[in-house]
Amino acid sequence: MEFLEYVSRNAQQIIFLTTQHVQVVLLSVAVAAVIGVSLGIATERAPRLRRLLLAFTGTLLTVPSFALFGLLIPVLGLGLAPTVVALTVYAIFPILRNTVTGLETVDPAVVEAARGMGMNSWGRLRTIRLPLAWPVILNGIRVSTIMVVAIAAIAAAVRGPGLGELIFRGLARIGGANALNQALAGVVGVVLVALVLDLLFVLARRLTTPRGLRV
Amino acid sequence: MSRAEGVIDVEAEAPVASWVLPVLAVVLTAGMLGYLQVASLDSIEQRVLVPDAILDATIQHINLVVASTLLVIVIAVPLGILLSRRRARWLGAPVLALANAGQAIPSIGVLVLLAILVGVGFSMAVVALVIYALLPVLRNTMVGLQQVDRSLIDAGRGMGMSARQVLTTIELPLAVPVMLAGIRVALILNVGVAALATYTNAGGLGTFIESGIVFNRMPILLTGSVLTIALALIVDWLAGLAENKLRPRGL
Amino acid sequence: MSDSFGSTALRLDSASPPNDVMIKLEGLRKRYPGQSTDSVRPLDMEIRRGEFVVFVGPSGCGKTTTLRMINRLVEPTSGQIWIDGRDVTHTDPDELRRHIGYVIQQVGLIPHLTISQNVGLVPKLLGWDKKRIEPRVDELLDLVGLDPAQYRRRYPKQLSGGQQQRVGVARALAADPPVMVMDEPFGAIDPITRERLQDEFLKLQQRIRKTIVFVTHDIDEALKLGDRIAIFGESSQLAQFATPLEILSHPADDYVRSFVGTGAAIRRLGLLRVGDLEGAGGGAGAGPALRVPPETTVYAALEQMLDAGAARLAVDGEPGAERSLSLQEMLAAAARGRQVPS
Ligand SMILES: Nc1ncnc2c1ncn2[C@@H]1O[C@H](COP(=O)(O)OP(=O)(O)OP(=O)(O)O)[C@@H](O)[C@H]1O
Ligand SMILES: [Mg+2]
Repeated sequence: MEFLEYVSRNAQQIIFLTTQHVQVVLLSVAVAAVIGVSLGIATERAPRLRRLLLAFTGTLLTVPSFALFGLLIPVLGLGLAPTVVALTVYAIFPILRNTVTGLETVDPAVVEAARGMGMNSWGRLRTIRLPLAWPVILNGIRVSTIMVVAIAAIAAAVRGPGLGELIFRGLARIGGANALNQALAGVVGVVLVALVLDLLFVLARRLTTPRGLRV
Repeated sequence: MSRAEGVIDVEAEAPVASWVLPVLAVVLTAGMLGYLQVASLDSIEQRVLVPDAILDATIQHINLVVASTLLVIVIAVPLGILLSRRRARWLGAPVLALANAGQAIPSIGVLVLLAILVGVGFSMAVVALVIYALLPVLRNTMVGLQQVDRSLIDAGRGMGMSARQVLTTIELPLAVPVMLAGIRVALILNVGVAALATYTNAGGLGTFIESGIVFNRMPILLTGSVLTIALALIVDWLAGLAENKLRPRGL
Repeated sequence: MSDSFGSTALRLDSASPPNDVMIKLEGLRKRYPGQSTDSVRPLDMEIRRGEFVVFVGPSGCGKTTTLRMINRLVEPTSGQIWIDGRDVTHTDPDELRRHIGYVIQQVGLIPHLTISQNVGLVPKLLGWDKKRIEPRVDELLDLVGLDPAQYRRRYPKQLSGGQQQRVGVARALAADPPVMVMDEPFGAIDPITRERLQDEFLKLQQRIRKTIVFVTHDIDEALKLGDRIAIFGESSQLAQFATPLEILSHPADDYVRSFVGTGAAIRRLGLLRVGDLEGAGGGAGAGPALRVPPETTVYAALEQMLDAGAARLAVDGEPGAERSLSLQEMLAAAARGRQVPS
């Protein structure tokens, strides 16, 4: 109850930070999606490069986020820039991987049939392979988003935007009156953002999956 | 598609040639330490970056990772086995759903909430790490056991193996690769979360990252970041080696 | 501990008369939880020692369920199971299964164990020591036609499907169980290999004389392998339980007739052997004769005669006991075979 009171008293700030959080996540994921999907398509004729890219971006995931933020500060300073770059870096791998998987698992018979109809490779990609791979790609974007929502909470350590700020402020006030409420508001906010975005992805999936694939 | 469900799934792709990770880690570490030798450090930097302090922080970091990972294995593996037994199987699905949802909780949140509620220091940080890294191991133990071919279990039972013998000679060995992948994820997560443990007075290499930010000193910041990354690469490499070594033959 | 069961109840003792009952099912019934009907309605059946019984029937009629109740992988809802005169309905199921060989369509070799470890599993469960298991494994691999030196150390993945099922059979035989239950063991194997495995398995059975319950939904496989065939209808109701010859000659009803399908008379020729035909004995008749050994089936003999344009058949025998059969005599005898099911 005390917590709800805290939330209602600080609603404005919480909403502001939540909006920031969502914005920075969506921005990073959007950039990552463009990079990931393009790389996935561009490396179709270069399987070795593709494997290398997958291995490299996959290994980037093992880099601890706090350390990556730290590494970016000398170059980009504090705040928004290192946050977006770091989140983008993490978000690329699931999207790239699912683009590759999605494109690879399109039924070769369908592609062959299109070829037989005289469709060129760009046409096949645009009208057949990408739409068929889309549910898988979208799922990669979803995975990236959920992951990045949680990582973005650390951004506050480098003066980045978002709900992490509440967590760190709670920490700074440890023993103080509202420390728990503040940190809790941050954590609950992050989880809610993740859940809501996840739901939106379910919706997006329903809306954007070609009808014939929805079974 | 099941693979894509895992949020952090380092196992998904065949890793880079096995020597790349350790070599990269060694180069990073040597480069960093070499730079500290030749760079002209100011007084704050000199005070923070004493070799003993670096060594201590590294050991603390490793201790955090090892202690929490061991605890995670001790807790999550038996729990996962229990939850995949016939009588408890109905619990499995909700627990897995919960485990997946739990991944939306930010690690720093677990750490800070525990610090506020219970206290700070090494052991509380271990508790936070355990809570955070429990999920992948639990999930992979359950998934690993569930994906064992039913006909193998049937054949085992049909030969007169007891439920326990089926578990130890068939189910567990066949689940080992998936379980190991989960443990590897837990290790990597722990290296990362342990870097944040500095905020709850548990030490570790994150200390340098934090002081680097606070004092605005790039050498300190870089020391912390680079060594943490090197440690993560080494841990990932070792985990990969262990995974290959412990995977049953014939699979 | 493990031996008490084997020595008292399930020992393959030469002392027991050859015709006694090995497996007896009494009012055996199964209703799966949550189901509104019985998957197996009360079933009574007796299977003799050393007999090869085949269950056939349409998909979903309860063959597997019945089979799995014999080794209690499925617990009966009611009824009793007797094996070698002993009521095993409520004994320790693990102990029971160690004395019943089990072979399934998916083979179920454990992928991370070598072939020899797979075959040695049950003996190990029974507490045999290593010195006894090793030669036994080699003996069994030999028995199923796999060179032990070559295959012992391999992993299941390194074998073809047919070879895997040979190992599956070897594994089931490992502890010399008197009873074997087999659920479509050759069902997933290509037709040519399947036929070879069937032939080999028949030969093997002539040596080892196990009591076998074998499920298939291939009527030809049933006719070829079974001493007796149980044709199941809905819910494991026995439509007919008889020898192949009897089933071909005297199908109990239209259901059995339709199940056996067309060509019963021709198929019967594949079951009769020329040595068993009651034909005019004695010396050579007129015309060139085709010589065949007495175990040749009438079907194969006729085929050869048609091929060679021969009108007579000379059946090998002890010197002086050779017989010669004309085409007419063979057909007459084959028709009589219809009245004298063995
Ligand atoms: N575990 C189970 N739970 C509920 N019902 C089952 C179960 N196993 C089998 N059944 C039902 O019992 C009936 C008999 O199944 P069973 O597997 O014994 O058939 P079958 O004769 O072996 O068929 P097939 O030739 O296809 O292998 C079927 O209707 C099946 O749906
Ligand atoms: Mg069946």
